Amino acid sequence: MDEFDDNEIAKLLRLKRYEQPPPGYFDNFLHEFHRRQRDELLRQPLWRICLERTHDFMFRLNVPSLTSYPAAIAAVLICAAVISLRIYQEPEIARVAVRSRPALSATTNAEGEWTLASPVATRVFTTRSLRNSSESARTHRAAAPPRYVLDSVPVSYEPTFKF
Amino acid sequence: MNPSVALPPARRLTDLLSSGLGARAKSKREAMNQARKDEDQQLVARTQSGDAAAFDQLVVKYTPRLYGLVYNMTSNHEDTNDLLQDVFSKAYKAIRGFRGKSSFYTWIHSIAVNMTLNFLKKRGRRFHLSLDDVDSSIQNDKEFLELTATSSPVREADLSELQRRLNEAMMKLSDEHRAVVTMFHIQGMPHAEISKILRVSEGTVRSRLFYANRQLQNYLDEFRKNPVA
Repeated sequence: MDEFDDNEIAKLLRLKRYEQPPPGYFDNFLHEFHRRQRDELLRQPLWRICLERTHDFMFRLNVPSLTSYPAAIAAVLICAAVISLRIYQEPEIARVAVRSRPALSATTNAEGEWTLASPVATRVFTTRSLRNSSESARTHRAAAPPRYVLDSVPVSYEPTFKF
Repeated sequence: MNPSVALPPARRLTDLLSSGLGARAKSKREAMNQARKDEDQQLVARTQSGDAAAFDQLVVKYTPRLYGLVYNMTSNHEDTNDLLQDVFSKAYKAIRGFRGKSSFYTWIHSIAVNMTLNFLKKRGRRFHLSLDDVDSSIQNDKEFLELTATSSPVREADLSELQRRLNEAMMKLSDEHRAVVTMFHIQGMPHAEISKILRVSEGTVRSRLFYANRQLQNYLDEFRKNPVA
């Protein structure tokens, strides 16, 4: 027999099954696998771990089967509506605040001189503060509206004996 | 003249398969395969429901087999170890998406083969052979006894040297051809299973196998003619 035939090559190749890793390799493989998994887990950022845990939790609950696509779309639409409402309302509050400030400046200016210039311009170009802190402290009580309602006395302070 | 001798070989093989012995062996193999599939299916279902111990059982079960596959494709123990760890890690992450269209056996083997082929592309030709020890049970192997006892080119050469040359010859094959040779000759997988794992046709598997056999034959013949080289 001069040449290797297919059969002999096949037999030789089959003998490669006997090439084995070092003894105990298969026993330690699982421990090594667990160790590597732990290391990998520790190397992951926190947000990723949270995401995976949430995903696992959802998977266990089998959420996809519980919620249909229309329900998911409806939920998304509701969220979008709530968010857009909030965004729409926020500028309204800001506008009220802007409008009230010129009114304030107009009253303070009334102490000195009245001007027909737009309140916005007055507010913008006036460098003097409207009221400084000491002035505000002095005029606070005077500017307060008169009180016609007497403060009620707490029950505990009332005299015990009444005749 | 004995009529059975006149029958073409294919016919005789069919007769053997259809005979009681062949049919019994075949049905026994099928029953074993089915039992393996059922067991795997249960373990996969348990893993999918969050039982990590079930996946450990799958790791223990498939490590020796996958080790043989990856090792014979890389010819390096350290690379094989790292690859196997990555294979099981990837499988564990992806097992929730496993819908059972193929068996777990096919699925895990395709992950291993694809990852090894990717690794070999990256590694290129920079490698060194790290041969594992030959298990002592080879002495009892029928084919080993045949190869060493009968008059053949194998007997003329030192068997261990021949094995070394065979490993070198294997590494000269392209990665895809080596994968087919490993799965068919060493792992003993049928063509259909290999075609499922590699996602190619059975014809492609057969042609790769034929081409790889020719190449191996040429390398080993060269060694036999010029053993010093």
